[in-house]
Amino acid sequence: MKPTRLSFHDEIQKNKISSYLLITIILAVLLLLTYTIAYAIGGDYFFIILIIGIPLSIGYIVFGFYNSDKIAIKSANAKPANGPEYRQYHNIVEGLCIASGLPKPKLYVMHEQQINAFASGRDPKNAVICVTDGSLQKLTKQELEGVLAHELSHIANYDIRFMTLTAVLVGMIAIISEIFLRSLFWSSIGGSHDRENNNVVLMIIGIALAILAPIIVALVQLAISRKREYAADSSAVKFMRTPTGLIGALTKIKDNQPIKVSGAVAPLFLAKPSKAKEWFSTHPPLAERIAKLQRM
Amino acid sequence: MIIFWGSIAVLVILAATFLIFYNRFVTLSQQIDNALSQIDVQLRKRSDLVPNLLSAVKGYMKHEKAVIKEVTDARKAMLSAKGMEKKVKAGNQMQEAIKSIFAIAEGYPDLKANTNFLQLQQELSAIEDKVAYARQYYNDGIMSYNVMTKKIPGMWFAKIYGFNEREYLKISEAAKAVPKVEF
Repeated sequence: MKPTRLSFHDEIQKNKISSYLLITIILAVLLLLTYTIAYAIGGDYFFIILIIGIPLSIGYIVFGFYNSDKIAIKSANAKPANGPEYRQYHNIVEGLCIASGLPKPKLYVMHEQQINAFASGRDPKNAVICVTDGSLQKLTKQELEGVLAHELSHIANYDIRFMTLTAVLVGMIAIISEIFLRSLFWSSIGGSHDRENNNVVLMIIGIALAILAPIIVALVQLAISRKREYAADSSAVKFMRTPTGLIGALTKIKDNQPIKVSGAVAPLFLAKPSKAKEWFSTHPPLAERIAKLQRM
Repeated sequence: MIIFWGSIAVLVILAATFLIFYNRFVTLSQQIDNALSQIDVQLRKRSDLVPNLLSAVKGYMKHEKAVIKEVTDARKAMLSAKGMEKKVKAGNQMQEAIKSIFAIAEGYPDLKANTNFLQLQQELSAIEDKVAYARQYYNDGIMSYNVMTKKIPGMWFAKIYGFNEREYLKISEAAKAVPKVEF
């Protein structure tokens, strides 16, 4: 197959539109959830929680959004890639930036022996790429180029912005559900059952929503994350005009030991850092990614 | 009333369409110019490294005057070249000459172990990659631009704004030249 000659800007546009759409859906779930819960409880003190909670969570989103690069670097314990031994790493990224028309991101290394890499930052101007020492040592130049092209594609496609925002929103839904379920638990111990008759149905809907909503949005988020991985793979091929390097790197990763990282940054990595079942995974299976790349 | 607001809405949509298409053409033209200036930057970097390379190999290649001269001449041609096509052509010649220096260096184990020389070699091969990528980006840019000027509705706006189809640089591909093997 010839590399798809889709215009770069069209791809970004599509990604931006689908991000807004997804975030709207998640926001709608959020509103529905809080509304039902507030109604079910009777609104006496739930609104107080919301009044305090919403500015706090918006502040949290804004902070997380503007500092996504720094947070990822900190939590992965990465160091800036300065020094002559990283010359090739810099050269490859510079070349790929020319190929993609992106500004050069800041480069970091993680002192880990496994082969892996991640990208972060809210937009291409504030992006970082980080690779492990293992990738620099074990991969050939072409394989490393494939890995870096994949990470650069995440930056080019605005995946980091998208995944960070959804992660924050999904987290908010989880927190609200938790607050509701816990408050139910405590109030049932306290035993205040004044208005149970008209609220029983709503209460049940509220409980069902509180349990299901976090699971549903998390699955939606994961499905989209896996799709974005395929998209980044094909964009990487578009930049390099050959899938060979990335195929080689993914094949080597198959024999990798997983790295321990916090779940929040897992979607940003090249290959999934933990061993999770497919449905609950941020990344598609390596074998399938390799098979897709081989068909390009 | 409905007619009034309706015509205002139509006008706003029309104006927005004109703006959007104008901006797309400008963005695409800038991508092309940006790619060209990238090629230029990389060629300049390459010619800046040539004196360092020559001084690194000077002590070893006393009998390879022809190759050294070839590199120096190509550099001069590159620095005095006017226009992108000539620059790129001279840059390709310089790259070929540099490659023959590296080929000769294979016969000098001391030189091959010299860190300065190795760094230069790495840097020059990185520049070669970057030139290739810049050309790829340039070709992509020309292609998207030309597709825009030919497809409907881009075609109409291209005529209105005077954005004409752009030609690809006539750059002879260095790799296409069959290398001469002499014994």
